[in-house]
Amino acid sequence: MSTLIRVLPFISCVVSLVFAFFVFRRYARRRGSHLLLWGIGMVLYGIGGFCEAYYSAFGWNPLVFRLWYLCGAILVAAWLGQGTVYLLARRRWAHALMALLALGSLYAAWRVFAAQLDPALMTSGLHTGSELSGRAIVTPGVRTLTPFFNTYGTLTLVGGAAYSAWLFWRKRILLHRTIGNILIAAGAILPAFGGTFSRIGIPGALYLGELLGAVLMFIGFIRATTPMQAAGAGAQAPTTKAPSPS
Amino acid sequence: MSNEKGSAPPGRRYPAFWEKAVPIALVAIAAAIVLLLGVALAVALGAWRG
Repeated sequence: MSTLIRVLPFISCVVSLVFAFFVFRRYARRRGSHLLLWGIGMVLYGIGGFCEAYYSAFGWNPLVFRLWYLCGAILVAAWLGQGTVYLLARRRWAHALMALLALGSLYAAWRVFAAQLDPALMTSGLHTGSELSGRAIVTPGVRTLTPFFNTYGTLTLVGGAAYSAWLFWRKRILLHRTIGNILIAAGAILPAFGGTFSRIGIPGALYLGELLGAVLMFIGFIRATTPMQAAGAGAQAPTTKAPSPS
Repeated sequence: MSNEKGSAPPGRRYPAFWEKAVPIALVAIAAAIVLLLGVALAVALGAWRG
């Protein structure tokens, strides 16, 4: 395993936990369910990174694998996306979806921790075994859960950030939030592409995607929450309720 | 008023670079979402195990 692949998840873990600290600090000052859920989501991101770093440094461990699959592969995108749902959707809908997500997360946790594992399967097919892979799960039906959570997470997190950016762009207001939301959307997409490239046998693609994704989302969050100095369109107040990491 | 329809008032513009970059980025993100949904569908249906 190359040194680069060993180091990437450790950096991802540090970046995402620092990011989580910034989000929680903002939540402590301003409140808002979206900030709380984004903070939880980034902690899940950090746990995923930690598990990958552990695997790179010390090798296979079933508990670490289960934590990685649950937090990093299944839950992270959906919980981050749920934060965006609280920002964009009506409160009643957000609560209903939150209840579904919480129940789904408990079910996923039960399935992942009850599943049979075989780490040898991670080196089969195109996958090199240099990264953690859901292939190690033998029990049928567990991996089937992942696309549902990730589709929900992608649509809400990436779609929500892109929609927010479009709203600001259409009215030509708050340029910093337009840029910030675009960076958040782009960053949120990268781990999914990393996972796809990893599936076709490109070593390090998943971990690189996760690191770049965490960095881009962090920069996007800072950009969106920091007004730009330049006068003009970017300095004006919004005239409608528009989603942003405020 | 154009603002009531959610569009920018006449004359209000972002800096030239962002006027071009933002729509390009949004289209790229939309295309990426569609691509990823296709992959997720293929995985969910068992058409692609990777």
